[in-house]
This record gives sequence, C-alpha cells and structure tokens, in this order.
Amino acid sequence: MTDPHVTRRTLLRYGAYGAGAAALAGTAASWDRLTGADIPGRDDGSLVVATLGPAYGPEAIRTLTEGFKEVHPDIKLRINAVQAVDWSDFFAKILTQIAAGTAPDLVYVATEGVQLFAQRLGVALDRWVKRDAAELREYFADVHPSLVESMMYEGSLYQLPVEFNAADMYFNTQVLKRAGAQLPPADWTRDDFTTLLRDMKKSSGSQFTPYFWTNRLWGGVVPWLFANDTNLLAESKAPGGAWLWDSFYPAAQRQGRGGGFRWTTPQATHDRVEEAYDYLASLIQEDLCTRPEGGNGQNLIGVFSTGRVGVTPAGGFWAGGLHLAGMKSDGFDVQYFPRWRTQRMQYGAAGYALLRTSKKQDEAWEFIKFAARRDTLMRLFETNQTTPARRSMLTADRYRESGPSQWQVFYDTLDRFPDTGPIPAPPQVAEVEQVLLKHTGTALASPRSVRGALRRMQGDLEKAMERDV
Amino acid sequence: MTNTQVPPVRSRPAAPPPSLPRPSARERGTRLLAALFLAPTIVGIVVFTVVPIVGSVVLSLFHWNVIDPPSFAGAANYREVFGDSTVLVSFRNTLVFMVFAVALQLLIALVLALAVNGRMPVWLRSVFRSAFFFPLVLSAASISVVMKYLFNQDFGLVNWLLGTVGIAPVPWLTSENAAMATVVLVYVWQQFGFSFLLFVGGLNNIPKEIHEAAALDGATGLRKHLHVTLPLLSPTLLVASVVGIINALQVFEQPYVLTNGGPGDSTRTVVMVIYESAFEQLRFGEASAVGVLLFVLIMAVTAVQFRLSRRFVHYE
Repeated sequence: MTDPHVTRRTLLRYGAYGAGAAALAGTAASWDRLTGADIPGRDDGSLVVATLGPAYGPEAIRTLTEGFKEVHPDIKLRINAVQAVDWSDFFAKILTQIAAGTAPDLVYVATEGVQLFAQRLGVALDRWVKRDAAELREYFADVHPSLVESMMYEGSLYQLPVEFNAADMYFNTQVLKRAGAQLPPADWTRDDFTTLLRDMKKSSGSQFTPYFWTNRLWGGVVPWLFANDTNLLAESKAPGGAWLWDSFYPAAQRQGRGGGFRWTTPQATHDRVEEAYDYLASLIQEDLCTRPEGGNGQNLIGVFSTGRVGVTPAGGFWAGGLHLAGMKSDGFDVQYFPRWRTQRMQYGAAGYALLRTSKKQDEAWEFIKFAARRDTLMRLFETNQTTPARRSMLTADRYRESGPSQWQVFYDTLDRFPDTGPIPAPPQVAEVEQVLLKHTGTALASPRSVRGALRRMQGDLEKAMERDV
Repeated sequence: MTNTQVPPVRSRPAAPPPSLPRPSARERGTRLLAALFLAPTIVGIVVFTVVPIVGSVVLSLFHWNVIDPPSFAGAANYREVFGDSTVLVSFRNTLVFMVFAVALQLLIALVLALAVNGRMPVWLRSVFRSAFFFPLVLSAASISVVMKYLFNQDFGLVNWLLGTVGIAPVPWLTSENAAMATVVLVYVWQQFGFSFLLFVGGLNNIPKEIHEAAALDGATGLRKHLHVTLPLLSPTLLVASVVGIINALQVFEQPYVLTNGGPGDSTRTVVMVIYESAFEQLRFGEASAVGVLLFVLIMAVTAVQFRLSRRFVHYE
C-alpha cells in the first residue's frame, strides 16, 4: 500500500523545485517577450479597416494594403478580415470588438447596417466630400445616384458605395432548353414566370425544383414585395441631401432624391403583402418552389449548376461564384426580376463606414477615397465576386470568360428602373430581419397560414420599430 | 434455574467530543501539497465560471447596448423577458427538446451498451465503441451543416432515399411539426456516444457473480436487466442524465445552423435567444436576464435530479 503522507525530505524537495520554478519564471518575466502588441499592426498606430473576411481573401488584402501604401506611404494600414457567415454575424463581431475597446477605424458595411452605423457609430462624410468635391466628381459621375442615396441617413452621406447587388433572376440554360423555353424578355411578367416554372416542372423529373429561394432580407420574399409595389415598412425619404445632388448629379438624375431612405410604419398586413405571400404559397403548393429555408445561398450553387434548380434570384456576385464552381459561361444567364404591379427591384450596396471612435479620421477618409477608385476596384473585383458600384467597370470583356451573356442586366437594373430601391433596413434592422424570417417561415410552412402569420409579423414589427437600438 | 433477566442498561452521561489532535508536520505538508494542486483549478473556476455568473447577474440589472454606457434598469429587463412571447416559447422549446433528447439519448446509449457488452468479438466491440463515440469528437456546427444538406426537403439524401421506396418528401427542417424532431435526431446522433461510454464502463463494473446468481434464481432476459442490471447501473444513469440534461438545456449549434430557430419560433432555444438578444439586437441586459433564468432553471432541474436520486440510485 502506498503511503499517502509526504516526508519532510520530500516536502523540502518540492519546496526547492518550487523555488527553482519561481526563479525561472522571474527570469523569464524579465526578458523581452511577445505580447498582443507585437502582432503586426496592432496598437502600432495603423489605420485599422475591418472587412467581411470571406469576401476579402489574402489577395484582396494585399491589393488594398500595397496599393494604399503607394498612394499614402505615410499612413500605416491594417486590414482586419473578420470571418463571418453573413452581415449580421459580421456586425456582431464588430460590435464585440467595439465593446472590447479594440474598435477599428473603418468598417465595411452593407445596406443592412448603414442606418444602424450612421445613427450610433458613424461619422458623416459631408465635410470631406465637400472639401474634395473636385476629386470626387469622376466617382459620382460613374456611380448611380440610387446607390449613393442608400448610403445617406437624414441628409448626410456616411459611405461611398463600392459594390452592390440587385436581386435579378438567374436561369440554368440547360433547364430552359429542356423545357423548350427561351430566356424571357426584359419586360416579362409574374404570370410568365409561373408559366415558365410549370413548363420546367413538366419537362424535368421529380427530383427537380423549378424555383429556389432563401429566406432572408435580401432576395427572399422582399423582391416580390417590391414587384407588387409594396414593402415591409412604409418608405419615405429624409429631407436634405441637396448639397450632394446639386454638386454631383445632373438635374434629371437628382430628381426625387432626398437625404436617404426612411423606413417607418410596418405594413405586413397590407393587402399587397398578403398577395405576395399567397403567391409564393401557391407556388409551394404546386411544387414549383422550395419552402422557405434559411441560409446564404451557398448550398444552391451545386444544385443550380447540376440542373436540379431552374431559376433563382441572385446578384452579380453569382456570376463569379458559378464560374469558380466550374459552370461554363453559356450554362446560365440572367434577366430582370419579373414585373407584377411594377418592375421595381431590390438591391443591397456596401462601402466603408468611418467610426466616431477613430482618432485617424482624416487618414480614414483617404482610405475611403482610395477604396472607391476605379483602379482599386478593378484589381479588387477581378473575379466578378460582386457588381462594382462603378458603371464603367461593367464591360463585355469583364464577363467574357465567366458569363452571363446578359451581363448588362446587373447595372441596367438601376439605370433602366431608376426607382429600384435598397433593402428596407432601419436602425432596428436586426430585429426586423429576425421577425421577417421567423414569420415568413411560419406563413409558408403550412397551407392557409399566411394571414395569421402576417398578423403576428405586424405586431412584432411594430414592437421592434418602437424599440430604441 | 438461571436468571435470564437482563439488567437495565444505565445511560451514561454524554462524553465531551474528543478534541482533534493537532495535525502533524507530515499531514500539514500533505494538505499544503493538495491545496497547491487544487489551486489552478479553483482559480480557473473562479475566473471563468463564478466571475461571469456574477457579472451576468449584475449586467441583467442594466440596460447596455455596447455603444452607450450602461444605465441601471432594476428589474426592467426581467419584466421585459417575462412579457416577451419569444423568450417564453424558447423556454418551452428547450424543455421539450431536453425531455426528448435526453430520453432518446439515454435509451439508445443503454440499448447499444447492453448489446456491445454481450457476446461479441473484442475487435468488433472496439469498432462499435469507436463508431458510436466518433460523432462526439466532431464539431457540432460542422455536423449540423452536413445534416442541413442531408435533410434538405428538395435535394437532401434522406428524402432521396425515402423516394426510392415511394415515400413522399418530408419537410424535415421547414415544417413546424418536423423541425424540432429533426433537431432532436441530429443532436441525439451526435451526443449519445458519451452516455454510451459511461454505460459500457458501468456495465463492466457489475460483478459477473451477481448476474450468475440472478440466473440461478431464474431471472433471465429483460427481467434480469430490469431487476439486476438497471439498479446496479443507476449511479451511472444518474451521471449520464445529469450531464445530458445540463447539455441539452444549453443546446445552440444544432438548431442555430439547421433551422435558425424556425420555422417561426418552433426550434428557437434559450441560448439562441441569448445570442440574438445580445449580439444581434444589442440588448445585453435582457440577454443576461435570460442567461440568469437559464442558470436558475439548470440548477433547479439538477437539484431535483439529485433529490430524486436518493430513491432510485443504488450504490451497493
């Protein structure tokens, strides 16, 4: 049996070990050692820019850092590519950094977060834009005013858009051929859409789903609401913004522009909203459409490229995605979202927001300008992973290899339908999105549940909009 | 004749409790050494468990959105939580999930442990043990992503397999009725390996002689397991159920990835609500209040389990 007691000698030996260890620890502590501050760029006075990681790989980061260094060798830059599943996950991580006292100077923010950042965290860019008006004239001439307006909040500009994606319709050309159909014309209607789905269903097997969509704020039910001339929240424009429109846009383009979008009263129980949900429910009942499923559409590339899905709403980013997935340029094509009461479409844009906590605001503004330059965007968006905000970048050459043949649709969604609008994203966007996804799931999960679900959605949206962020 | 009468026992006055002998130098050394070994764990528990719990309780009394400084709210967060139907539904969902997930997990683990513990070649036993434990070492999030593909109504492998035998596609993740059952299935598939290993260990500790004696008394098959194996396995069952319930009450990854809480709120769990309130809606005070309530619930359920265990758990 082992003696559990420790002898005096053993104890002394342990004591000696302990003293030795303490001496070693003390010596080690006195040495110069690596700490968090030694991580390249951290706390070294760099301008810190947080971007959505998956969209900004090492190549893009190099493009930004090296390019910026050439223009501004005196400003140290660090790109912090935050890995996140989607925009709400990204914002959550940025807010955690802010709470931890390690806020970046600039954050890449999409339409979903523009008003939240503007209201609580962002700095208006107005004074710099006015100061550098001459330099920016070329930029604004190349960017659709609707994209710029979506980056305004209560009369001030908070970001320069660098990319956007409108919810257009993608078609698998092999499926179209199988159905004996052509790519629909630009002015096609909702009924044409239904007929096409039926034709596709008839010509394909039971393992085929004509229309696939994901339940989210961009590209889910909302484009159908736009097409049916309604929206989740009442839409209006804030006053102001003339300082920008008058300086940079000709009269025809500044007509009707204001100081940014205002999203106010929920209208989920509006007849047209119900009509849009009923329509999607009818497609589900007829087996023409998937049930609402969450996600970001990544799992869709496989089923679309193999011809198990015929049609899906996606933006310019999908051209690059399908190409990278090995789909040939003539394997798919794109057309505008179909007309219902209107052919107004939905888009989301993104740019860099400057945080109030930043102590390098002038340097940050220089980065914002650099990131919106044509040559920067040309290098950054080489693989068509998005639709550049600059009209001049959308050329036949850019889409020759990846497709689609109807690549003009991407920017023409704005030019041809100038009332095309941004995602309804008030400062309370996180809760609004959650309510939308939740009740859309319920409304379309079982037959005849639309009306009840929309009534509950209305109640929850009202509560969400009353809340201060 | 002998006197068989027993003389009455005279009660003695109670003796004063013996004073504890002063520990020897050797004992003091042992205690010191024990304290040294325990110190890192105790510091870890204090820093990473006690402090966050106290912090959550304090934060639950404040309004805080990360951006603005916290402001004292008193019980307002708790009032808000009790008036929020989503929170209440999430507690109901979590309890429903816990009941089915733990019951299924224990049942499957027990049946498989009994099967593996039976007559079987050693190598095959090892294969089964590894196979059943394997899902547990994988990340719940990655498993859920794969399962999301498998259970997709339109393109998933599960419905394709069902289709080959003429069964219509099931909306595994998009129907309010089926979604929770699917989440439970995925969770149980991943988690039962832990209980399985505990049961295998517990079964190995039951002396063979007891089973042989029971067999001699005529107990065979199910009766033997009900009256001999289960009572002797009851301490292991208690551990497995306590750990299983605590884990199930904190479920997050599976419903978050598979259904994002939907359709509607049908698979929204308490931890999901905490995450959404804090990190998506910036209501850290309310999120902390929900966290405190979950903590109380877990403590209460665990206390009830230990209380009940006095009746059902046999240590000899």
